[in-house]
Amino acid sequence: MARFLMRRLVLFLLALMGISLLIFLALRILPGDVAAVMAGLDAPPERVDRLRRQMGLDRSYPRQYLDWISDFLKGDLGRSILTNRSIASQVGIRAQITFPLILLGLGVALLLGIPLGCAAALARSPRMQSFSHMAAIVGGSVPALWSGLLLIMLFAKGSGLIGLLPSQGFPALGWAQPGQALSSLTLPALSTGIIVGAGIMRYTRSLLTDMLSSGYVDMGMACGMTRTQAALRIGLRLASPQLVSVVGLTMAEMITGVMVSENLFALPGLGSMLITDVGNRDLPAVQSELLLLAAFFLFLGLLVDVTHRLIDPRFRGAARQEVAD
Amino acid sequence: MSCEHADRPRLGSKAAFPGRLGFFGRMRVVLASMWRKASGRYSLIVLAVWILVSLVSRFWTPVPIWTTDGYRIWRAPSRDHLLGTDGTGADILSWLMAGSATNLAISFLAVILSGVLGLLLVMAMVSHRSGVSQTVVVLVDALISLPTVLLALILAVPLGPSIAVVVVACGFGYGLNLARIVRPQALLAAESDYVQSARHSGVGSFRIFCTHLVPNVIPVLCVQLSMSAGTSVLAEAGLTYLGVGVPAGLPSWGHSLTTSVKFINVFPLTVLWPGLVVTMVVVALNLFGDALRDAIDPVANPRLRAAVAAAGRSALRSEEYQEASAQLDDSDHHVDNAIHAGEGGNDVAEY
Repeated sequence: MARFLMRRLVLFLLALMGISLLIFLALRILPGDVAAVMAGLDAPPERVDRLRRQMGLDRSYPRQYLDWISDFLKGDLGRSILTNRSIASQVGIRAQITFPLILLGLGVALLLGIPLGCAAALARSPRMQSFSHMAAIVGGSVPALWSGLLLIMLFAKGSGLIGLLPSQGFPALGWAQPGQALSSLTLPALSTGIIVGAGIMRYTRSLLTDMLSSGYVDMGMACGMTRTQAALRIGLRLASPQLVSVVGLTMAEMITGVMVSENLFALPGLGSMLITDVGNRDLPAVQSELLLLAAFFLFLGLLVDVTHRLIDPRFRGAARQEVAD
Repeated sequence: MSCEHADRPRLGSKAAFPGRLGFFGRMRVVLASMWRKASGRYSLIVLAVWILVSLVSRFWTPVPIWTTDGYRIWRAPSRDHLLGTDGTGADILSWLMAGSATNLAISFLAVILSGVLGLLLVMAMVSHRSGVSQTVVVLVDALISLPTVLLALILAVPLGPSIAVVVVACGFGYGLNLARIVRPQALLAAESDYVQSARHSGVGSFRIFCTHLVPNVIPVLCVQLSMSAGTSVLAEAGLTYLGVGVPAGLPSWGHSLTTSVKFINVFPLTVLWPGLVVTMVVVALNLFGDALRDAIDPVANPRLRAAVAAAGRSALRSEEYQEASAQLDDSDHHVDNAIHAGEGGNDVAEY
C-alpha cells in the first residue's frame, strides 16, 4: 500500500507538472501582446513597457513559469488583467456556488442511480429488464443543455407549466438565505444529476448483474438469505470498489454539465467565471483557474484510486504478496 | 474424429478457411444479424438517416442556410419554415440539417483519434518491458480524471473556438478511457497459448499485436468507440454552448441547441426538436455498439459462424478436396452444437 501510494503520489505530481507546462505553453503561443492590449490603442510605448514589467512579461519564459508556480503554491493566484481583483478571492466567492452545485448534483445522481440500478438488476421479467436498460441509455443520452431547458419549461417560476422553482440567478446575499439559495440550485442540480444518475444506474446494473451470476451471491443464498438480501448485502458490497471508481470518473465528466447549467441558470459560479475569462483572454486568471481545476480533478482521481484500494478486500491479501506492484 | 480437431483454429479465423468469406460478405451477415433485433434495427435506421441527411444537406436544404430576413425573425413554425426562424431570420430546420454533417465529421474524427490513441496505449500496456507498461498504466490512471472540458478550454485559448478543439479534447479523453477498458482483454489474449507460441516462433510484437490482440478486443472496441461517438455529440453540444466548441456561423447541433435557448420565451415547443434529434442519435450510437458487438463476434453470433462455414464448404466442394470436405462435415456438426450452446449466452454481458 505504501509503495502504491508513493508511486501514485509521484505520478500525481508529475501529471500536475505536465499539465501546468501545457497550460503555460498554450497561453504563450497566443498571438498578440497582452500589455499592448491592456494599455489601450494609442498608449505611449513607455507605458506599455511599464505595464509589461509590472506583469512580469519581460522576463524569460522559464522564469515566468517558475514565478507563476511558486506564487501558485503559496496561494497567490495573481490578479485579473481586466478588473485587477485578486483571483484567489474571486475563486473563493464563486466556489460557494459551484461546490454545493456539484455535491447536490452528485447526490441526485447517486440517489437515482444506485437504487434504480439495483432494481433493474434484480428485476425478473424480461420486459422490465429491457425497459430499465432503455431508460438508463436514454437518460444518459440527453444533452445537459436540453435537460436544463426542459426543466425550465416544466418547473420554472413564471414561465413553466408548474411554476415551482426559480430558474435564473442566485440570491444576492448568498448562503445567508439558505432556503432561497437551495431552491435556486435545485433545478441546475437536477438537470445534471439526472443525466449522471442514468450513467451510474447503467454501471450499477451491469456490476450487480455480474455479481448475481457469481458464486458469492449463491453462497449467501445457500446460507439462507433471499436473492435480494444476498444481492444487496454481498453483491453491492463487492461491487462497491468499482462503483467508487465509476462515480469518481463521472464526477469529472459532470463538470461540463455543471458549467452548462451555471450558464443556463445564470449562476455566478466557477464555471461561468472561467468561461468569461477565456472569452476575455484574461491570461493570468485563465492560467491559474485552469491549473486549479486540473489540480482538483487530478487529486480527485488520486483519492478515488486510493479509496478503491482501501475498500477492496482483495487488495489486502495481495498487498503482502505483491512485490512487483 | 472430433477429438483430433479439438484444438484446430477457431471457426471464422483466416487460418481455418483462408479467404473464403470476404470482408463484404461478412459485413452483410453482420448487418443482417443486427437487423434481426429491434435495438439494432433502430440504430441502423437512425444512423443511415443521419448519414443521408448529412449528404443531402451539402447540396439541398429546405431554405438555403445563409438566407436571412430581417423582417421575419423569431417566427413560429409555418409552412415556409417548418421549425420557425432564428434571430437572423434563418430557417431553423435547415440549420439543424446542415449541422448533422458537422457533427458526423466531429464524431468520426474523434472516434478515429481515440481509437488510434487507445490502441497505442494498449500496445504499451501489454509490452513486456514492465517499466514501460506499468508507467503507462499508472499514467493513464492519473490523467483519466481530467475532464474533457478542461482540455478543451486549454486548447481553446490559443486556437479559439474550432472543430479541432472538440475533436482533440474528445479524442484524447476517450482514448485514455478506451485503453483502460480494453487492457484486461488484451492482457488475457497476450497470455494465451497461441500468442505464446507465436512469440516463441519469433513473430515480432507489433505483428502479434495486429494479428492476435486487436481481433480479440474488437467486440469491446466496437462498444467503446460507438459510445465515444455518442459522447462526442453530447460534448460538442456542451462545448459549443460554452463558446469553446464549433465557432459561430458553422452549423452544428450544439449551435441549434444554443439557438433554442433563446427561443424558450418565444415559442417554447421549438426547443424540443434539436434536443430530440441529439438524444435520438446518441441513443442510436449507444445501441449500435452493443448490437455490433453481438453480431461481429464469431463466438457470440452463430449466424456468422454458419455463414463462414458455408462459404468455406462451397468453395472447397468446387475444388473437390475430398479430405478437407470430410473434415468440414465434421466441423458442421460443431457449428450446430455451438449454435445451440450460443443461444443462451447471447445476452450475458452488457459491457
